[in-house]
Amino acid sequence: MTPESTGFLYPFLEAEEHDATSLLADLAASARAKAAESAALQHSTLQECAGQIADAADMIAERFAAGGRMYTFGNGGSSTDAATLADLFSRPPHGRPLPAWSLAADQAVVTALGNDVGFDLVFSRQIIAHSGGHDMAVALSTSGNSADLTLALAEAKRRGLLTIGFAGYDGGRFATDDRVDFCFVVRSQSVHRIQESQALLGYRIWAAVQHRLAGGEGPG
Amino acid sequence: MSAPTAPVIAAGGLDEESAADLAAAALALARRFAAGATLWCVSPSWAPHAHHVAVEFVHPVVVGKRALPAVAVTGPDPVAMARVSVRPGDVILAVAAASDPEVCSMMRRAQAWGAATVWIGNGPRPPAGAADHVLWLEDPDPALPVTGRFVLLYHLLWELTHVCFEHPGLLTPADPECEGETCVTCGDEGRIGEVISPRMPDDGRALVRTATGRELVDTLLVEPVEAGDLILVHAGSAITRLDGDGA
Repeated sequence: MTPESTGFLYPFLEAEEHDATSLLADLAASARAKAAESAALQHSTLQECAGQIADAADMIAERFAAGGRMYTFGNGGSSTDAATLADLFSRPPHGRPLPAWSLAADQAVVTALGNDVGFDLVFSRQIIAHSGGHDMAVALSTSGNSADLTLALAEAKRRGLLTIGFAGYDGGRFATDDRVDFCFVVRSQSVHRIQESQALLGYRIWAAVQHRLAGGEGPG
Repeated sequence: MSAPTAPVIAAGGLDEESAADLAAAALALARRFAAGATLWCVSPSWAPHAHHVAVEFVHPVVVGKRALPAVAVTGPDPVAMARVSVRPGDVILAVAAASDPEVCSMMRRAQAWGAATVWIGNGPRPPAGAADHVLWLEDPDPALPVTGRFVLLYHLLWELTHVCFEHPGLLTPADPECEGETCVTCGDEGRIGEVISPRMPDDGRALVRTATGRELVDTLLVEPVEAGDLILVHAGSAITRLDGDGA
């Protein structure tokens, strides 16, 4: 970074800068602006996806009631959000625990498949091994394009699973692939803001499923 | 019928005090990284959060941002794992409730290990001084950890930390010996130590780990001590025991 381009913003920029006061004020303002942006995106995403959340929750609840299991998966930070979502279903803060787990959680399986058949197949091969007709596959992505995820959703659809994709940007390949039953798109260009909205989407879907399994109807 | 917008914005927004806490944590973290720190991430109840923080720093989503050393500590005994892994100058970041016994233990020991601490959570706050940086959401809803609010906090921490790297002049504290709450200069008034060995065979004193390294300490005033006990060290002697959970 050159002093010419940002000098007007940070008068003490460069190695001679010693007083952190203005930087701290700048960081705090930036944090508040980003948090507001995140909250606004969460709000608009929930509004846009309200109908999809209700429809998906109906089908997820039916499948759990029929003995189905949920598999969640993603890459990098999205794999951890997938694990959080699986934990939410299997170890909920309240309500009924439901069978769900993350396909990225077992390093023996992931590394065995990655090494032997290639990384693109780490999730689809697990779908082949585990799945039954009442099960559900949930892929979390920001691009909606990762090959390991699209291949797993396609395999899941072939086997009669309910397929759900979370994406950002314009939805990527998840949004145009008819093998994805529900594609939840967070319309943002920021990976971080997308993930923050996806987490809330996952939570709302979980809450709606719990509501249905408890005998409730409607939006939950 | 449209839902009210205000509560959603307010719930996800960040108040001024929290934003200031986050800014201070980011600058401290950047300073530690600049000096060679590793970030140790722990979340006993929500291991995916520990993994998410670690991958954020190790493999940034923004192309061109530097990879920084961060590790998720998620095994069955995170305190033991941190004890053997953490080096002076490192940072421990926890995502956990204030009541989490393993995180409480780790946060108390961090001073003896020479580590700075960041604690993210919600509900009842940890007691004052429990961590160097407390990034807290007051909402006690047990579902809050899975709604993206914690994800937002550590995403922001990562984003702000990288902004600090654009200010190299601020990455070295004016007085490196008096950074934060662990002041080496004033240390002789009482430094926290963790007992490694209660009695060295040919010496009789205890081998104790403090932020400045290992030292022999006279424990006569606080006998008996066991490995893992936390003590306050003053002028070569243990003057008090700090908690009862060290055994």
